[in-house]
Amino acid sequence: MSKAATFLNSQVGRKIATGVTGLGLVLFIIVHLLGNLAYFAGPEAINTYSYTLHQLGPMLWIVRLGLLAFFVYHAWLGLSIWLERRRARPEKYEVYATRGGASRQSWSSNSMILTGILLLLFVITHLNTFAFYDFATITHGGVEMHDVHARLTEVFLHPLYTVYYVVIMVLLGMHLRHGVWSAFQSLGWMSRKTNPIIYSIAFVLALIIAIGFIGLPISIYFQLV
Amino acid sequence: MTIHLKIWRQKDSNTPGRLVDYTLDDVNPDMSFLEMLDWLNERLMNEGKEPVEFDHDCREGICGSCNLVLNGMAHGPYEATAVCQLHMRKYKDGDTIVVEPWRAKAFPMIKDLVVDRSAFDRIMAAGGYISVNTGAPADANAIPVDKYNADLAFDYAACIGCGACVAACPNSSASLFTGAKISQLAHLPQGNPERKRRVVRMVDQMAEEGFGDCSNYAECEAVCPAEISITSIAKMRREYFNALSEIE
Repeated sequence: MSKAATFLNSQVGRKIATGVTGLGLVLFIIVHLLGNLAYFAGPEAINTYSYTLHQLGPMLWIVRLGLLAFFVYHAWLGLSIWLERRRARPEKYEVYATRGGASRQSWSSNSMILTGILLLLFVITHLNTFAFYDFATITHGGVEMHDVHARLTEVFLHPLYTVYYVVIMVLLGMHLRHGVWSAFQSLGWMSRKTNPIIYSIAFVLALIIAIGFIGLPISIYFQLV
Repeated sequence: MTIHLKIWRQKDSNTPGRLVDYTLDDVNPDMSFLEMLDWLNERLMNEGKEPVEFDHDCREGICGSCNLVLNGMAHGPYEATAVCQLHMRKYKDGDTIVVEPWRAKAFPMIKDLVVDRSAFDRIMAAGGYISVNTGAPADANAIPVDKYNADLAFDYAACIGCGACVAACPNSSASLFTGAKISQLAHLPQGNPERKRRVVRMVDQMAEEGFGDCSNYAECEAVCPAEISITSIAKMRREYFNALSEIE
């Protein structure tokens, strides 16, 4: 086996790969969030943002394919680690409890596989709702572009979709609450001193991202913008 | 004091086990948990019944032999305490305690509360050693070790190899044990000659034994009687990455 294959098949390598792909996806999510915030600056801002992205042409597709690869690999690693866990303890405890203290077992760390699968399903429906949607066009400053603003407004005025979206973003926050901290530990960027700091930063980051994403649909639904 | 016990009884790995109820109504609060089991076994033997098998040796928290899961927690509810150092005064009169063995595929059942932990020995044999010259013993301070690294190495060396990390881990991962051994030697000049081969071989052996992946739950650190930190796992990952990129 080549060194890369040995690495990616080892328990340490799989964990490092989960961390790297996870952090890559977090970076994407942050950029996506910043893009969403353009909605608050009015139709022209978000439509132009979307238009500018599409003008990247092949670059955009390289980023999209890279994202897809990261996403699929991250999901596959998560699933295989979860399956491994069932194999590694064939007979379960009659009683199992966490000791607390240094333990990071929590709602978010114990539901990574569930939140992960729900996020995966969400992304598929989300692409269908927005990315692959046949947008109406609008002209800003003489340039014809997709009217993303109108689509967002239309979608988030629908109560069921808004509730669904908000719930999923809460799950995203939970996934990141354990995921971001865990990625740093997986990459070995952790010492006794940085451990509690990064654990707290991960919580704040997860909170900001979840609140950021929830802000848009709530504002649209209650017609605050 | 009265203590109700639900103890896992299993004849051998081929026979299914089950929890069996025992009630002791004259437990001395100053007994250790293991002394209470001795007390129970004495009675069982007097009644002509099969005593409960459990592992123990030093009974002072340093040998790593005792291995009981009490009410779902490896070594019981108190931090930095091996179950041999847990005293019955920590419990209330009338408490019920479920007693189970370490459960992991890599720790096969032998009998009752005793499991085979030789997987840890094989991880050690894969690389948890250093090269020394034979002949007369070397002078103790011939190789200088700075205080910072000596302290860190000592913290990791505190691992007693009991396996509580595996028992408590939702994934049955042996990362804390393996990480502690690797980190201890990685902080000492004596560990340098085999440094790269060690981490690669020990990590491989860990997977080969059937331990699960680590998901950074840190439950291992919470139950570790020697208070080994999960920074040892972070260190193991750095060591593995560096070793694999440099090894031929």
